[in-house]
Amino acid sequence: MQPDGNYGMIIKSSDQVPHATLLKRFPIPRNFGVTPESRIGRGTTWPVSGSATRVKTFVIYRYDPDSSDNPRLDTFEVDLNDCGPMVLDALIWIKNKVDSTLTFRRSCREGICGSCAMNIDGTNWLACTRFISDLATPATIYPLANLRTIKDLVSDLTHLFAQYAAIEPWLKSKTAEPERERLQSAEERNRIDGYYECILCFCCTSGCPSHWWNGDRFFGPAVLLQAWRWLTDSRDETKEERLDNLEDPFRLYRCHTILNCTRTCPKGLNPGKAIAEIKKKMIERRS
Amino acid sequence: MDPPNMQNMRSPLARAIGLGSAKEGVGSWWAQRVSAVALVPLTLWFAASIIANSGSDYATFVVWLRTPLTAVLMILLLIALFYHTALGLQVVIEDYVHSTTRFAAVIAVRLGCSALVTTGVVAVLHITLSG
Amino acid sequence: MMPSSKTTRSRPLSPNVQIYRPQLTSVLSILNRITGVLLSASAVVLVVWLVAAARGPQIYVPVQAAIASWIGRIVLFGATFAFFLHLCGGIRHLVWDTVNGFELRSIYISGWAVVAASVVLTVAAWIASASMGG
Repeated sequence: MQPDGNYGMIIKSSDQVPHATLLKRFPIPRNFGVTPESRIGRGTTWPVSGSATRVKTFVIYRYDPDSSDNPRLDTFEVDLNDCGPMVLDALIWIKNKVDSTLTFRRSCREGICGSCAMNIDGTNWLACTRFISDLATPATIYPLANLRTIKDLVSDLTHLFAQYAAIEPWLKSKTAEPERERLQSAEERNRIDGYYECILCFCCTSGCPSHWWNGDRFFGPAVLLQAWRWLTDSRDETKEERLDNLEDPFRLYRCHTILNCTRTCPKGLNPGKAIAEIKKKMIERRS
Repeated sequence: MDPPNMQNMRSPLARAIGLGSAKEGVGSWWAQRVSAVALVPLTLWFAASIIANSGSDYATFVVWLRTPLTAVLMILLLIALFYHTALGLQVVIEDYVHSTTRFAAVIAVRLGCSALVTTGVVAVLHITLSG
Repeated sequence: MMPSSKTTRSRPLSPNVQIYRPQLTSVLSILNRITGVLLSASAVVLVVWLVAAARGPQIYVPVQAAIASWIGRIVLFGATFAFFLHLCGGIRHLVWDTVNGFELRSIYISGWAVVAASVVLTVAAWIASASMGG
């Protein structure tokens, strides 16, 4: 457990694990408001052998598209002496030693590819950069919130990537291409710091209540952060079209500065601030 | 997003683009902020006045309400309050109501706020100008 | 992405508000919204009260008595707390609109400041009102 100081009441960076919240979840029924196919049922328990000394219990969301069953919660006991320190190590241990049908995305195991984004103990993070020792008992692992589940912890990100494509995330210029590289001062290059590092894991978008209720039309923090990345890049010459494309009561203005995004970003980025910068540009261009 | 079926075979990009950008929205956002800035001093003045007038009887209260400065501030408070309320409630309705009922609900909220602010202003003027 | 022929049902939606951890960020935000809606109702009451004052003492005195009853006082106390929460939360929002205070540390400090200030202001307002004889 990392020492938090202030009893965890003041969060200084997003990698501080949210231990100190008053409630672990809103006090509503577990299947509140869900459609029949999304109702979660009880699943199986997979106990570990008696010789394990350090054991951690994981409750994991499971869904098998090849059966006609609803999603369920399976309980796994993991031998921590046999497994690496991160949540992804535990998932791989379960897949190797206990239930090989457990399905999840993973690649780099170092927090840069964004594949293993999931909801761990109630907040979204990357499984490969979350320590098992920081988890509650039992630990709960769900897929990213409010997304269609393909299988187990693998979610359908198609719509999120489509929203990303809709902001045209590439350099657009009107003047002729330069003979050599497009010049940019050091100060201009610094303006994209904090925005170009996004790994598109969608932890932020999946944790935004406004995107939960209006995700079909609201672009969400990840896409809007990238929109700002291109708006503030001095080499791009289509600010007017980009701002026109964003000025919409739903695409941009469903953001009510809830700030779950900044709290949950596993790379420490600040989508809330990026969105505020876009809104400021909206005002500046008409005053 | 659901997988495509016979009713819905649009590409994901088409679904994300939807009807395109409305190219407006900053106006309401700005009006909400301006009315909020106006409401900070106006509501604090109102709260302080109510506290200062606690325990006074009807006659004393009406004498206070009848002063021109009070009337002006009260009218400004009503206008800013109901403008801010209408915009705020419209956003709440748009967030949670997704059927076409939302248009009727937004119209009802806006007309209701207009009616209430007019009633309030007329009441203040009635107190100030009569007697 | 096409489902196999035997599963034409929709994919299940992963839980959102049912399992997401409430944090200072989301809780203060929803409180700002809830207090805003409550204050909208209070605005209606304000107009009713002004109309009562305009109609003369026969209408005004019973309305004032209802507000001064013990149930009226409880509602008024709640409304005052809602008012100060929305006011302090609103000021926090206005500061954010100038693109200031977005570091996580500032978000949390300003958040707790809003809660503390609301409590202090509500208590102070009621003490001041009581000392005025209300």
